[in-house]
Amino acid sequence: MRPEVYVREISPQVEQMLKLATSLYESSEDFPAVNRNLKRILASIEMLKLNLEEATD
Amino acid sequence: MNKTIPFWNPYRETLPSEQLLQLQLKKFKRIVRWAYDHSRFHRRLYEEAGIVPEEIRTLDDVRRVPKVEKSMMRTIQLKDPFPYGDALCVPLDEVTEFRQTSGTTGQPVYQPDTWQDWEWWSECWATLLWAQGYRPHDRVFIPFGYNVFVAFWAGHYACEKIGCETVPGGVLDTQARILKIQELKATAMMATPTYVLGMADTAKKKLSIDPASDLTIRRITCAGEPGALIPATKKRMEEAWGAKVFDHSGATEIGAWGFECEAQPGALHVNEAMFLTEVEDMDTGQPVTEPGKRGKLVITALDRKAQPCIRFDSKDIVEISSETCECGRSYRLFPGGVVGRADDITKIKGVLFAPSSVEDVVRSIQGLSDEYELIVDKKGDVDHLLLRVETAPGAPSEPKEIEQQLRTTLRLKTNLQYDIEFHDYGSLPRYEVKAKRFKDLRKKGGE
Repeated sequence: MRPEVYVREISPQVEQMLKLATSLYESSEDFPAVNRNLKRILASIEMLKLNLEEATD
Repeated sequence: MNKTIPFWNPYRETLPSEQLLQLQLKKFKRIVRWAYDHSRFHRRLYEEAGIVPEEIRTLDDVRRVPKVEKSMMRTIQLKDPFPYGDALCVPLDEVTEFRQTSGTTGQPVYQPDTWQDWEWWSECWATLLWAQGYRPHDRVFIPFGYNVFVAFWAGHYACEKIGCETVPGGVLDTQARILKIQELKATAMMATPTYVLGMADTAKKKLSIDPASDLTIRRITCAGEPGALIPATKKRMEEAWGAKVFDHSGATEIGAWGFECEAQPGALHVNEAMFLTEVEDMDTGQPVTEPGKRGKLVITALDRKAQPCIRFDSKDIVEISSETCECGRSYRLFPGGVVGRADDITKIKGVLFAPSSVEDVVRSIQGLSDEYELIVDKKGDVDHLLLRVETAPGAPSEPKEIEQQLRTTLRLKTNLQYDIEFHDYGSLPRYEVKAKRFKDLRKKGGE
């Protein structure tokens, strides 16, 4: 599959991951082991988003 | 996973130039907006220059944004919040990493990063290591004592991200590192060019180990000094280790912005999806665009957020090229990599002089060791150059032929004459990082 096609195909799924991870993160204030690991997961997801970012919105 | 794919990011690394420029503009607007909204320093800087983020509409507008110099960062960091000052764009609680510059050119600058920034740092390095052929089956040895400087930290994390087995060779001495490389059959390593040559020398002299035949290192990534793209230095390293040697370029405040790919085009690719590079005339500050012309690199890290690096005056000298690389990346090339430093390039007897040109000459001559020292001083009103070199083991004790060859090549390559002193092998200083072989004693504090 051409890279640009692949990028368009998986970007919505990355957005879903972001929503799920954000929601879990926001609910985890009283549970450091969940909260701090989700913080790292969110950084990885942000890096995924940057890697898949297209030139135009 | 398909390990034969040559690109870490097949989408971005092959983007047509037009799309790459669009992506850079989009990201530049975003990072300027971020800095303006989150840092008092940047807001003040832009307001004084009479620019607000929404006025950046094209890449031509980029030049309206004021440049930042290292000296400004030193002043900023005297302010609150301690110890970073008001260029900081995130709450202190978000900072997870502290590093600092080496202080080679003055008071060190502190560099805060969030974990997000650290993901970005390791991504920069993963891009370059993958381009140089690092794959999950590699066992990478890092012969360096990690500390408050950024050197090789991101390389370590990038190896982990790729899936390489990563061996920290920290506090071991050089001989112990070589023996550990042998014991573990390490396949790759990262070091400064000076240390790559120094390790090979120690292996042969002290351990009777020939790195090319007795060790299994087959790729080496260099950092910290420009030697991996100085042809004679690269040749010496590759022959000593029987390995491919690659250059990369980066800085604490910027990130790892440039890399040599496996095709070894004698140039650095700019990672243009993550950095915006501008080249400007050293005297006029005007943009340099003509292939073959050199200028000073002004650089923006497009996604780094805790302490943004926007139009940073790197002082690195690079050369413009319109060539493309056979590797298939669309990223621009800087032939010869960082060919000098604006604060090193100097005039001697009226001739523009880059110290790296002497390194290329010394290391191209058989019978000389890797070490040398170059001192410029005044004799009366006239500039005077003294070059100290070492004969290699086994070379003639009265090296008349070597001296003649050295004089002729130096005159041809640099248009200057030198007093030359020959020293015994092993008598000149050895360095592990940031070798200081050029000393300009005409300037106050030049030593």
